[in-house]
Amino acid sequence: MRLPEFIRTTTFRWTLVVSGAFTACVLLMFAFVLAQAWSYMTVDVDGLNAGIAEAILDQDEMTRRIERLDVYLRVDPHNAKFGGLFAADGARIAGNIESLPPGLKLDAGPQLVSLVKIDGTTERRSVRAIARRVPQGGTLVVGRGDYEITWMVRSVERALVLGLIPTLCIGLATGVFLSLRAQRRVEQVNSKIHRIVAGELRERLPTRGAQDPFDKLAVLVNGMLDEIEALIRSIAGVGDDIAHDLRTPLTRVRVGLERARQNARTLDDLRGSVDQAITGLDQSLAIITALLRITEIEHGHRLGGFRHVHLADVLREVGELYEPIAEDKRVAFAVQAKEDMVVHGDRDLLFEAVANLVDNAVKFTPEGGRVELSLHGRGEEAVIRVCDTGPGIPENERDLVGRRFYRADKSRCAPGVGLGLSLVNAIVKLHGFRLGISGWPGSGRPGCCAEIVGQRATASTCAGRSGCKGAIGLDSTRASTSADGAPATVSG
Amino acid sequence: MPTLSVEHVARYRSTLVDDADVSASAENAPMRVLLIEDDRETANEVIAELTDRGFEVDWAATGIEGLDKARGANADVMIVDRLLPGVDGLTIIEAVRQDRIRTPVLVLSALGAVDDRVRGLRAGGDDYLTKPFAIVELVARIEALLRRPTESRDTILQVGPLELDLLSRTAKRGDRDIELLPREFRLLEYMMRRKDQLLTRAMLFEEVWNYKFVPQSNLVDVHMGRLRRKVDLGDEQPMIHNVRGEGFILRAPA
Repeated sequence: MRLPEFIRTTTFRWTLVVSGAFTACVLLMFAFVLAQAWSYMTVDVDGLNAGIAEAILDQDEMTRRIERLDVYLRVDPHNAKFGGLFAADGARIAGNIESLPPGLKLDAGPQLVSLVKIDGTTERRSVRAIARRVPQGGTLVVGRGDYEITWMVRSVERALVLGLIPTLCIGLATGVFLSLRAQRRVEQVNSKIHRIVAGELRERLPTRGAQDPFDKLAVLVNGMLDEIEALIRSIAGVGDDIAHDLRTPLTRVRVGLERARQNARTLDDLRGSVDQAITGLDQSLAIITALLRITEIEHGHRLGGFRHVHLADVLREVGELYEPIAEDKRVAFAVQAKEDMVVHGDRDLLFEAVANLVDNAVKFTPEGGRVELSLHGRGEEAVIRVCDTGPGIPENERDLVGRRFYRADKSRCAPGVGLGLSLVNAIVKLHGFRLGISGWPGSGRPGCCAEIVGQRATASTCAGRSGCKGAIGLDSTRASTSADGAPATVSG
Repeated sequence: MPTLSVEHVARYRSTLVDDADVSASAENAPMRVLLIEDDRETANEVIAELTDRGFEVDWAATGIEGLDKARGANADVMIVDRLLPGVDGLTIIEAVRQDRIRTPVLVLSALGAVDDRVRGLRAGGDDYLTKPFAIVELVARIEALLRRPTESRDTILQVGPLELDLLSRTAKRGDRDIELLPREFRLLEYMMRRKDQLLTRAMLFEEVWNYKFVPQSNLVDVHMGRLRRKVDLGDEQPMIHNVRGEGFILRAPA
């Protein structure tokens, strides 16, 4: 037979365990109380018996003793009193017991014996009794049945029934209720998750606004789902972007080749068209390469290769690399890195990011313009800023800049893939840095600035990271390796 | 920009040939290339191209066959695809290197990731080329591997009238001193060690600048232009030649 679902829930099992433990505790407690009461009552009964026997034997005459015994035995609502006077030969003189119980020792301590009343109606198997020698010969037996003890056991039983069973029932009911509730939530979550798995990415786990762990978990999972949904949407968006940006050069290639096939008169005509086609294909390949590179950075686990990176070096090298390009284009290019800043990161990637920003700046700045690359500190942070007097990026588009294939409409005509900033963004994100786009600081100059802002490395950043060992102390060797412009060996 | 046609370029684009020196590498026995590549079409293209240029090409279509042939060790250079059925390309290279076969290896891969490239070179590859590649790029790299400069102890490099002193870090053309920036010095040194070889932009960028990413601008061209203006003055015979769309060659003036 299949057990109901809730019985298999953890909550219900815990309820069972707790109820069981609770019951065991209560039973133990009752047993202890019972044992204590038992021993107390036994002492009490023994004392009582001894007292009665004393009082009877204190009488001088036999008749008074008999009278006394009768008085004692007369009032016995619980049918618990036993007593008897016996002659020296064992014949009954008075009292309500038939005969001297065998095994009851004279003038010894209290004993547990079995006694039968003379009317034969009542036989008690466990009676606390004592036997005393009567001074003129004969024996006195006084005993008391286990009425009190039986009564006490009954009370305890009643207490158990009336107290423990309802408690257990309430406990189990609570358990069932909680299990059902938990199970219902799990089922809700399950069905939602099934829907999400089936592709309904907009579904979210139910939350109650309570601060219970389940709710917190649901909120966390929902956050994760938000991120996944955003990622998937961006991937879908990228798909469209790729389609667009790949189609354009590919269409051109196709059309060019078709026309060449029909119209080319000479080998040179054909060759020219083929060259154009190759250029178009190279452009498409560059797009794919750039996309793969971004993916590689976004999914790369390169944190292991993080070292201390001297940003002034990176800037100087980028400057050296792009200065001729700027000069060829008649764009003024200035690099300012008076104070060195050290950050924790991947030197090659940071170089690539800065190089991309400068590449963009130089590309989009018209002849006679100006590009500035600078490094400065802002509190605990290092700021790499690339400013240019190019067409700039409209304020409302600045957030979009990091998106793949984003290119401001004004510069749409400039050659390039439009993936540079996405690449920079990926690198910046990997480092936990920020990328910001703004106008030239403190002026109405046309153009814009891109800023990479990152936490400066401190000695503690390095603690526990083996890779950083000695990275800071490399200045002298660094100076010599980079004298010929080679990348410093600090990077991984 | 002067366009030069040397042997292999001439072979590749026969129309550019304007001198008769087309003897190619046929002076000696032809160089043997072992190509381990599972894609038949790619293999055919590469074989056709290399055969045209006077190489003798041996083709293995699977990893196991490739490993056998590589162990035969009579190739002068190997081209190994990274992803092969049977045995992985890198495994082949590692196995061959363990057998102490030092034949230079060019790794071909559709995986362009930088990390993958590093893995390829660490396994014992000498160079790495990402698919799809320009056939010129492949040939230039093969030639570079075949003519790898021996680590000479010379402290002075000489090509024609051009002289580079590696100790004092000075350059001269004839009697004329050439002032070079550090990077230009490295560029010229690299070219002089590989004179008469076609050096593609990607090769230069990787080897001289040490950068693994591909910049979008014509960085190498601009830097090369600067170097050329210093090396070849207006009235001198040009030594640095631009092979259109392919790369650069340093040659002693005829």
